[in-house]
Amino acid sequence: MCAHLIVTLRAVLLAAALGLGWMAAPAVAAPPDNNADVYRAVREGTAQSITFTAPADRMLIQSEGQTWRQWRNGPITQIGGWMLAGVFVALVLFRLVRGKIMLEGPPTGRLIQRFSTVERMTHWTVALSFVLLAITGLTLLFGKHVVIPLIGYSAFSWIAALGKNVHNFVGPLFFASTLVMVALFARDNVWQAIDALWIRKAGGLLSGEHVPSWRFNFGEKTWFWIGVVILGLLVGITGLVLDFPGNGQIRQDMQLAHIIHTSGALIFIALSLGHIYIGSVGMEGSLESMKTGYVDETWAREHHEYWYREAKGGSGAAPVAPGSARPSTAH
Amino acid sequence: MARMKFLCDTERCIECNGCVTACKNEHEVPWGIQRRRVVTINDGVVGQEKSMSVACMHCSDAPCMAVCPVDVFYRTEDGVVLHDKDACIGCGYCFYACPFGAPQFPQTGTFGQRGKMDKCTFCAGGPEADGSDAEFEKYGKNRLAEGKLPMCAEMCSTKALLGGDGTALADIFRERVVRRGGSGAEMIGWNTAYGSGEQKRQQTRGGDK
Repeated sequence: MCAHLIVTLRAVLLAAALGLGWMAAPAVAAPPDNNADVYRAVREGTAQSITFTAPADRMLIQSEGQTWRQWRNGPITQIGGWMLAGVFVALVLFRLVRGKIMLEGPPTGRLIQRFSTVERMTHWTVALSFVLLAITGLTLLFGKHVVIPLIGYSAFSWIAALGKNVHNFVGPLFFASTLVMVALFARDNVWQAIDALWIRKAGGLLSGEHVPSWRFNFGEKTWFWIGVVILGLLVGITGLVLDFPGNGQIRQDMQLAHIIHTSGALIFIALSLGHIYIGSVGMEGSLESMKTGYVDETWAREHHEYWYREAKGGSGAAPVAPGSARPSTAH
Repeated sequence: MARMKFLCDTERCIECNGCVTACKNEHEVPWGIQRRRVVTINDGVVGQEKSMSVACMHCSDAPCMAVCPVDVFYRTEDGVVLHDKDACIGCGYCFYACPFGAPQFPQTGTFGQRGKMDKCTFCAGGPEADGSDAEFEKYGKNRLAEGKLPMCAEMCSTKALLGGDGTALADIFRERVVRRGGSGAEMIGWNTAYGSGEQKRQQTRGGDK
């Protein structure tokens, strides 16, 4: 498969290079009844004359379809599938090694607001649509290999039809709510000096150290910029290209959009597993913060020290000694 | 067993669109869908103009079959690639993958609403009972079940478009090439559809595994 792909890519590049030569060269007089030139012209994939008006019909043979098929059935399905399985296994291992991340100190019972109502509604709109899109999208990519053998072809067709429609109608909602989310959370996700400490300590994820941060730590910022902003917008925009055909995009645009959409979505889903884990069963108190908008002071102090101090009216970073990952017992 | 193929002789096709009309009439193909079309290369260039009728070529390693997420495609014993419209979800992937632009959709596709894919059946109907009303409604006539060949080729006024057993078509074409001294390169689309040389990758339902 891989060798085949490389040969095809090479052929495409060669054809692109030679194509320029053909256009520049004067027409060579072919021997009578030799249609090699005609066949070559056909394989260039250029628009020909036709009595109908559909643009796609004017191309006699589109070779790009084969490239798309090889990308989609090859690396995207295979690497993507194993990547998701790998991330899942990694999370299970993390759980076994680290366990659920619990609060160290006792909850104070005093609450601090972490997310506003608008922020929470936006988050859950994005989250719900993301989960629906991920499940239906994965069904379309892997269902043939995983689900059809289990429930049969007719039942799967029914699920896939429902899935496709859910995917196509929820997609624009995801895109719109992602835009709102980017606007709401961008400011607090800008790089701050203390983030360097988080990187140095790898977030304390394995050691269990509490690395201080402002409202969002570097892990959350990575998820925000790479996940929500870059992948969210990339997958969202390519999704719109696919969801609304007939606005000038041709088959080749759709193929490219599909490859970007599917690859980006698979990486997005892989990253999301980490976010969903730590935001739900992986850490005490994290789900409540997005559910209710409030966190306990102990949670705030242990996970977002600077933000906690600021919220309490302090100056944030001041009391923490430089380079110290674990703040002293200061309250 | 016969391996059904299409062949369009570009030395003979006169772009009359008789095949297109015959197909639409025979199967009562809905408005806006063309299962077959005629493409003209070098239109208006004296001596270099060639026309060719094209539809689903019923490929040996059919890309539509390989990419379909719900596996609606199947191959008959005659090598004809057919599909099950009941299971089709209208995702359009077959249209992305097909080299010949054969898959057609009845709707324009906003929010991906394309309806059920329609394409040439080599006049072999679909999964329903041969000659049944349900089969005609979805796929058109099943001429192969009646021992007849595709209507488009049967109606071709210059016998440019041939449809039938690949061996028989190759014999006819070889004779034409010998008579008129051509090179054989006129079998446009055969390498794409049936593989180069005698390469025959027969596919079972499911495509790429």
